[in-house]
Amino acid sequence: MSAQLRSELRKLRTTRTNLGLLLGLVALILFGVIAGSFGSESDMASAQDQRELVGNGGFAAVFAALLGVMAMTSEFRHGTIRTTFVFTPARTRVVIAKVFACFLVGIGFGALGAGLALGTGALMIRTRGYEVLLDSGDVRRLLLGTIVMAALWAALGVGIGAVLRNQVPALVGLFAWLFVVEILLFQHVPEVARYAPAAAGTAMTGDSVGDSSVNLLSAPAGGALLALYAGASVLAGVLVTNGRDVT
Amino acid sequence: MVAVDDLSFRLDQGSVTGFLGPNGAGKTTTLRMLLGLVRPTSGSALVFGRRYREDAEPARRVGAVLEAADFHPGRSGRDHLIMLALAAGLPIARSDEVLGLVQLTQAGRRRVGTYSLGMRQRLGIAAALLRRPELLILDEPANGLDPEGVHWLRTFVRDFATAGGSVLISSHVLAEVAQTVDNVVIIDKGRLVTIAGLEELSDGVARKVRVRARRIRTLLPLLAAGGFEATMLDGDELLVRGASPEQIAELAAGSEIVLHELVQESPTLENVFLELTSASTR
Repeated sequence: MSAQLRSELRKLRTTRTNLGLLLGLVALILFGVIAGSFGSESDMASAQDQRELVGNGGFAAVFAALLGVMAMTSEFRHGTIRTTFVFTPARTRVVIAKVFACFLVGIGFGALGAGLALGTGALMIRTRGYEVLLDSGDVRRLLLGTIVMAALWAALGVGIGAVLRNQVPALVGLFAWLFVVEILLFQHVPEVARYAPAAAGTAMTGDSVGDSSVNLLSAPAGGALLALYAGASVLAGVLVTNGRDVT
Repeated sequence: MVAVDDLSFRLDQGSVTGFLGPNGAGKTTTLRMLLGLVRPTSGSALVFGRRYREDAEPARRVGAVLEAADFHPGRSGRDHLIMLALAAGLPIARSDEVLGLVQLTQAGRRRVGTYSLGMRQRLGIAAALLRRPELLILDEPANGLDPEGVHWLRTFVRDFATAGGSVLISSHVLAEVAQTVDNVVIIDKGRLVTIAGLEELSDGVARKVRVRARRIRTLLPLLAAGGFEATMLDGDELLVRGASPEQIAELAAGSEIVLHELVQESPTLENVFLELTSASTR
């Protein structure tokens, strides 16, 4: 397994795709935090406003999910999956190694995203002339929550990629779920929406969703639920990968 | 539709075998089943006596190049080999070794997207060589290669076999591999048509003799009486099937017909191939 894991980690860092994702993540968080600090709705005076500002670190999870989906689908897109399976016929081992590799990089994405949002956020709050009201509990929860959330989303993405195989539908599906379906769920059936994967992940970071009238799950419950989603996705990915031909 | 049915053949050590058949005959499906990529609807595909997917053994002994395009265009050739070497538990140095074997050391750090088709083909072969396989499987390796590339491939395959390895090369054009292979396995519609040495291949096909004479038409009834099948060609020429040149000469001499030309036409390999595969269609 460690041999395959090393192979998968090597794959992740030898194309420009993931460097692009990393730069995209940094750019989006910087933009979100800087633009957000000048937003008219929030004046940065309350702790709640400040938490929302640094909550931009949560974008790390979206990029981690993209990383996971593309790690799997790009192998099918470019045909390298054939060579991969000729070298490692035990397909479960390949999928699990990819999950671990993406999980590890997801941890990195989460740490970077949360750290960057906290650092830039604190800087912007002071620049605006306010005192930083986030306590160490807020900071710890944001850091830890974002890291776990991003890592689990990376694993979830690998599962989605393994089930769908085709890159474009997988990415479109992921975006549609995150930015359309879950938002509609929150608008219409908020009591159900708390159990959706993105809401479960957000529950860990202490961030709010939408108009924050809905109570998210507790952090441990949210983490456990997202882990369950990720596990189910990986299991489906393993089953589909083992069952279907590679042509 | 049955793609491949009851197909079995053995490859000798140190030999090159052509795996031939028209497009759609089931060559690629057979190779993908052998390599565990495609599961047979029923039965099993065995290589070295084992199922590829259920045993780590075949993967160690087989190297394969399935398609020349199976690379991420943004990854360097060297990184492609390294990621595979790592998966196989080999040191990174082995990647550089095989890169040298296929003369890609210079281009190794360039992205595969910049490679020519010939270079990609060689990179595929380098990957297949990583684990020092005993059997090399090449699916349509000459497709799209320039003459220089084809020459390189031929030399490489011969050297690999001379060193004791076995090679299985698929192709839909016999002429493409005729200079390289020792044996051929011909399939059509997923079934075995023939397994033969390259020299034996033409033996089973009826030979033809071309005859040219001034009063050629007078020869026609004589041949028909002798039970031979003759076809008029342009002008003063005949094509006779089933008769030897000696038999035709005797017949002509008996009727005092002067022959201007008597040629035994050895069937080209391609004709043999076409005849064998079209015969199974009927």
